[in-house]
Amino acid sequence: MPTAPEQPIMHCRRLVLWTLASAMVLVSCGGDNSVALDGDSPSLAGIVRQPYPDVSGVVLPEAADDGKQFATKAESGHLLVVYFGYTACPDVCPTTMSFLRRAVRDLGDDASMIDVAMITVDPERDVPDRLTAYVENFFADGYALRTEDAAALQAAADAFGADYEITVDEGGLVEVAHTGFLYAVDPEGRIRVQWPFGTTAETMNEDLAQLIQGGV
Amino acid sequence: MTMRRLAMLFAMAMVVASCSSSSELDVEDAWARNSAGMADAGAVYMTINGGEEADRLTGVTIGSNIAGMARVHETAMDDDGLMSMQEVPQIDIPANGEVNLEPGGFHVMIMPLADRLTAGDEFTITLNFEQAGPVEVTVEVREE
Repeated sequence: MPTAPEQPIMHCRRLVLWTLASAMVLVSCGGDNSVALDGDSPSLAGIVRQPYPDVSGVVLPEAADDGKQFATKAESGHLLVVYFGYTACPDVCPTTMSFLRRAVRDLGDDASMIDVAMITVDPERDVPDRLTAYVENFFADGYALRTEDAAALQAAADAFGADYEITVDEGGLVEVAHTGFLYAVDPEGRIRVQWPFGTTAETMNEDLAQLIQGGV
Repeated sequence: MTMRRLAMLFAMAMVVASCSSSSELDVEDAWARNSAGMADAGAVYMTINGGEEADRLTGVTIGSNIAGMARVHETAMDDDGLMSMQEVPQIDIPANGEVNLEPGGFHVMIMPLADRLTAGDEFTITLNFEQAGPVEVTVEVREE
C-alpha cells in the first residue's frame, strides 16, 4: 500500500528555486559578459544557466549493480544527460525519453559520447528491476538511479533545480507531479544546458552535437 | 405529379444522406507507444475529426484483456513548473473541427496494462460520444 507523503508541500522553497532559476535564465539571456567566458553557449537552443549549476556532489545508488554509488558527472569527453521521472508515467516521461533516444541516435558516431541517467522520483513503486528495465528500454547502457532516502532524493533534486510531489487521492490512486527537464552534465559535474519538456529531438541533437564537438 | 414529387424528395434525401455520411465524426491515426520494460501505464493518442454537428467525447472503454481502465487525461503544468495529469470529464469536438490527442496534451491513459504493448500490435478501444455514440477505434502500437 502506498502511503501519503508526510512532508507538507513546500511552496516557499519551490517558489524561491523557481524565481532563482528564472532569474538565472534572464541573466544568461542578457549577459554577454558571463557567456563570453566559455564562448560555447550563445547558440545552444536549450536553457543555459549561469553560472553553470554544480551537481558534481550528487551521488545516488544504481538500482542495478547492488546499489553501486553513482555520481552525476560525465566521463571525460562525454556528456551525462539526467532525467527525474517515474515508470508509471504514461505521457511525459516516455515521450521525453523517446525524443532523447532519437536525439542521441542521430549523433551517429558521437552517440557513444552521451550517457543517460534516470533518477526515479517514485522509488516506492519503481522497484529496482522495474526501473532498470524501463531505462534499458530506451538506453541499453543507461543508468537507473534509485534511493529510498527521501532526504537524499530531495537534495539531488534541489541541486539540479528539479522538483516533484507525490500524493494519493481518495481512491488510493497515486498521483505524481514533477518537473520535466533533461539536464546535460559535463565531466566536471556542471549543467551545461537543460531542455524543458517538449523540446524536439532535433533541437537536443544539435545542442548535444555542439557541446561534444566543442570538446565538452 | 405526386410520383414526380416523391421521386424528387427521394433524390433530395439521398443527397442529404450522402452529405452527412461524408462529414461524420471520425478518428484517425490512433497509436500508443510500446511499453518500456515493465511499465504498466500507457497512453493512446489520436486525431478526432468533428462531423457536421458539434459533439463531445465523454468517456473511453477498454477491454480488460488490454488494461484495467481507460481515462481521458490532460497533461498540465502549474506555475511552479510541475507537470501532472488531470482527468478530463469531456472534450468538446467542434463541428468540422479537429482535436488532437498528442504527447504533452490530451491523451487516453490506459492502466494497469494486462500485457506490455509491443510495437506492431493492435488493440481496440471504444470512444463514447454524446452525439455519435460509441465509436470503436483500432490503436496501433509503435516505437516512437
